[in-house]
Amino acid sequence: MTAVVETEGLTKFYGTRKGLEDLTLQIQPGEVFGYLGPNGAGKTTTIRLLLDVIRPTSGRATVLGADTRDTAVRGRIGYLPGELALAGRERAHDFLGFLAEVRGGVSRGRIDELADRLDADLSIRMGQLSKGNKQKVGLIQAFMHEPELLILDEPTSGLDPLVQHEFLAMVREVRTSGRTVLMSSHVLGEVQNVADRVGIVRAGRLVAVEDVAALRERAVRHVEFHFDAPVPKEAFEGLPGVRDVVVEGASLRCTIDGRPDALIKAAARFTVVHMVSSEPDLEEIFLTYYSEEAPRAHAGA
Amino acid sequence: MPTLVRKTLRDYRRSVIGWAVGISAFLSLYLSIYPSIRSNPDFAQQAALSKYPGPLRDLMGGLADIASGTGYLQAVVYQLFVPILLTICAMLLGTRAIAAPEEDGTLELTVTLPIDRGRLVLERWAAVALGVLAVAIVTLALVLALGSVSDIGVPMGNIIAAHTGLFLLALFFGTLALTVGAATGSKAVSLAVGGGYALAGYVVETLGKSVDAISWLRWVSPFHYYLDGSPVALGWPLGDYLVLLGATAVLVTTAMLAFSRRDVGV
Repeated sequence: MTAVVETEGLTKFYGTRKGLEDLTLQIQPGEVFGYLGPNGAGKTTTIRLLLDVIRPTSGRATVLGADTRDTAVRGRIGYLPGELALAGRERAHDFLGFLAEVRGGVSRGRIDELADRLDADLSIRMGQLSKGNKQKVGLIQAFMHEPELLILDEPTSGLDPLVQHEFLAMVREVRTSGRTVLMSSHVLGEVQNVADRVGIVRAGRLVAVEDVAALRERAVRHVEFHFDAPVPKEAFEGLPGVRDVVVEGASLRCTIDGRPDALIKAAARFTVVHMVSSEPDLEEIFLTYYSEEAPRAHAGA
Repeated sequence: MPTLVRKTLRDYRRSVIGWAVGISAFLSLYLSIYPSIRSNPDFAQQAALSKYPGPLRDLMGGLADIASGTGYLQAVVYQLFVPILLTICAMLLGTRAIAAPEEDGTLELTVTLPIDRGRLVLERWAAVALGVLAVAIVTLALVLALGSVSDIGVPMGNIIAAHTGLFLLALFFGTLALTVGAATGSKAVSLAVGGGYALAGYVVETLGKSVDAISWLRWVSPFHYYLDGSPVALGWPLGDYLVLLGATAVLVTTAMLAFSRRDVGV
């Protein structure tokens, strides 16, 4: 099977500042690939290299089997920029019509259908769109021509939860139809429900590529229990995967790696009034990768 | 017409209309007072010469024979004011081709369309050229109409020749702004280079006639190829216009090559 996105030693320096170093990555057809990393890690640099907006310092990249310099291939890609800028007096549907025409045509019905799904008002002038509406127009233009590859840079920023939900449904439909998605995010929570694999990039280097299921196993989670009476600290010490236990009267705070099973069973011996479990903190996963996986990642790259 | 040309022209529509209206207002004002100048030639000539003493007069193109139709048309329309206005219009449109959308981020989506970078530049340039052409045609029609109403007595062919030069001059500077923008991505740099070259070019061409030290520089001034042939009086200076056209073509080619080579929006 030919990879949809394939890079080899892809490197980009902005003068002396490193943007991305030695990225070797393959994304297969029909896959949703989450590209994770903190701001400034190199996600946008990678994406802009794939779209030939910027040119690599060294290394190479192919998209849909063609070199990124091949102009025609871009008609088969849907792209949502990370910092989408839309301006001017033109109305949103006229702008979408222009993009559709250049890419070889999209039916008016298709644009309206997407606008309906995302609840976007396309009669507004581009310069007056709110941030959320801008993002919706950006999504519509990326999805409307049913591209074989979608490259979405921080697609959910500025969207309200309802629209985010609809967007994720659209991503799943794309996968179901056998097409491919590359989406970046700095929040694992945004991609973990749709992505098959995630790549984690930090300071310009790809530090890990993991199955989402495996990543979730590794995730570090902060958990808080509140009981109806003070609890002894000893009851929670030495549990597998439980760290940083702090007991203050009737409340317990700790960090868990992987499964919460042992902790839940220990807590069940007391009367639980309230429980808070935060989403896995991606930053801590990065830290985990730095401390434990760094040697392996370097060897693998 | 290619999609991108049409879309760019749509974006330019308001400013093109604005400049056409503005320059037309200027022309209407000055051409409508010509009959009173003609009826009092000695006074007008005297007033013009005393208003612009010495080198200032050179800067204004000499102001010879201002009470004649040819002299008047040259001095108030084709010498300085209208070329400056149309050149500014063309340079603003030129910066809006690449540099301005690159700075505000809207170029990002455009460069990821299945359009070759060189073609993108060429089609944006075509829209700039058509926009400037539209302003030139509207203002030409107005000069011809008002000229015949005020009985200005300049042959229609000469007015068309002068206006063609005006268009080519403005197009050259618009293309220069586009090219600098395509090469650097900076609006400020492209306006500074375009404006600086226009100003220096004009001064060198007008003052260079009487200052020997800089007279050789006239050859690199675009205004030389517009003013030196005196089209209002003498008709088509074909060779000069071909120089302007050729320089414009070189600039467009440079813009296409430069833009194809570089990173966008970094």
